[in-house]
Amino acid sequence: MNSEELAALIRPDRVHKSVYTDTSIFELEMERIYGRAWIYVGHESQVPGTGDFHTTRIGNQDVVMVRGQDGQVHVLYNRCPHKGAKLVAEGDGCAGKFFRCPYHAWTFKLDGSHLSAPLRSGFEGTQYNPASPQFSMRQVARVELYRGFVFASQSDSGIGLRDFLGGAASSIDNLCDRSPVGEVEVAGGVFRVMQPSNWKVFYENLHDTMHARITHESSFMAAREEAEVIGEMPFELLIQDGNGEPYAFWEKLELRAYHHGHGYMEGIFDPNAATRDPVSRAHFACLTEAYGEARARDILGMNRHNTILYGSGSPHNVFQQFRVIRPLAVDRTLVEIQLFRCKGAPPEVYDRALTYANLINSPSSNVMPDDVEVYRRCQEGNQTFGGDWVSLHRYLGTDHQLPDGAVSTNGTSELPMRNQFAAWRDYMLDDSPLHADNTITSECPHHAA
Amino acid sequence: MLLDRSFDLTLTPCTQATLSHEALRGVEQFLYDEARLLDERQYESWLALWADQSRYWVPRHHGQVNPFDQISLFWEDRMLRETRVRRLLNARNWSQQPVTRSSRLVGGVQVEGLDPQGHLIVRSKLHYSEYRLTQRDLAATVHHKLMATEQGGWRVYLKRVDLVNCDSIFANLEVFL
Repeated sequence: MNSEELAALIRPDRVHKSVYTDTSIFELEMERIYGRAWIYVGHESQVPGTGDFHTTRIGNQDVVMVRGQDGQVHVLYNRCPHKGAKLVAEGDGCAGKFFRCPYHAWTFKLDGSHLSAPLRSGFEGTQYNPASPQFSMRQVARVELYRGFVFASQSDSGIGLRDFLGGAASSIDNLCDRSPVGEVEVAGGVFRVMQPSNWKVFYENLHDTMHARITHESSFMAAREEAEVIGEMPFELLIQDGNGEPYAFWEKLELRAYHHGHGYMEGIFDPNAATRDPVSRAHFACLTEAYGEARARDILGMNRHNTILYGSGSPHNVFQQFRVIRPLAVDRTLVEIQLFRCKGAPPEVYDRALTYANLINSPSSNVMPDDVEVYRRCQEGNQTFGGDWVSLHRYLGTDHQLPDGAVSTNGTSELPMRNQFAAWRDYMLDDSPLHADNTITSECPHHAA
Repeated sequence: MLLDRSFDLTLTPCTQATLSHEALRGVEQFLYDEARLLDERQYESWLALWADQSRYWVPRHHGQVNPFDQISLFWEDRMLRETRVRRLLNARNWSQQPVTRSSRLVGGVQVEGLDPQGHLIVRSKLHYSEYRLTQRDLAATVHHKLMATEQGGWRVYLKRVDLVNCDSIFANLEVFL
């Protein structure tokens, strides 16, 4: 598919349904988005000690994040250069001082460089060269950390991680700043949930405020009915009830869009709760001691719901989670749900984050199944002859333009989807500013519209 | 309180339980009835099997010690079980159209003994098949801690379901196991 054909799929107010269903477009996304962008691999706390590793995916590639002898985090393709076997099994573990292939015992340092192969005399007179990259595990081209969050890019040139994250970095900052020492760690385990739908549907839904009270009617009604019977609305029910807010509530929310498809959505919960609810009060006292009252108020007052780091997933700073989105196929998406502990914060802060993870983001969530159901229906409906386009019309032309993106004038705007597809277009076309040889970021055409 | 750390999760009996043949049969029947109520989606009757202060737990990790430090696939008190049932029965539960159909096979029932509070610890095996759009099969070791009622019956204090694939990738888990 050439650039002209790809460009024709994305219009300011609509996208062609094939972007969700066409396997050749999916393959191209793996190359041009996941092969170029900075993708979140994992948090460095997942590999605390030398040799500790964590396996995951960058697009269609199996990679392993590992802590080297020098304390640096490396990201390697999970492949032995001999016969191609995956060096480590799926999951987390410790490789020890070096990787050793289970097939023929070739060994590699923790940065992937070749260490040894048995019976070296057998290579005499051949082109075997331990110093050649051909005989080492290959590193993913670029790795950068942002406050402990490890990102990698498969492209050896292009903009740096900080520039790529842009204003969305403030959500990672806020997540970390909720710790009195400014650090978080992955804790409690990771849920892994499968969605039978295209990855982009999930990104769009993360800032889709118009679906909340429709798709989630069963869960917010259940929470409301239960609260009425027991005579109170504890945290466990409150977080299931939020989707039931009336349209007027969603219209007032702020949706912020940044370049490269990122953005955030304002929170559903009241930031001033810091002085009312006991968990927030304890947290506020702890942060006041660390940072002073004004700064503590700012930190807990940054009330964001889902943030989007396009290509990586959705951090949630208020409840310390990260839904990491891994596309597996055009109609299959894996979500890794990470939970963070704010180091040094009162234990109740972690308790609340754990409860949020269990009730909202786990496979047994009362809320998520209805999302997953509508994603699947979109995936299947878009394969019928019932029409070719997906509408993104809502509040088009009203979004307020900013130097680094745009902000909605109405919280039900489909700005986030339009922004994501503007980024998608930038990645996918040959003249993309994100290509290795086009380093200048241009204004995206839809923002200018 | 959902994360009440004083909740007694121990599955190691502190005293032996001596049950008559008839009483043992009563315990087995209780487990079979519980499975049947879930298979038949008689959720209101299923909710009534539980003690007031009770927990339904499906750990996320093998050998998980508690639901407080680590995430769980389910950790539900009465309020959350009731909320789940309300959602399952709501007319606009899109992901339950069609509903999840299920079949449970409970076997290998063994009485382990009594916990410090006198709850009967019962271990059993669950083979669970469900169908909604696709078929899914799950297998688990289940521990029930049962409270004797004055009428000679049982109430569930704890039901812990250890799935053989608790660390797997899951599609939605909408109904109780």
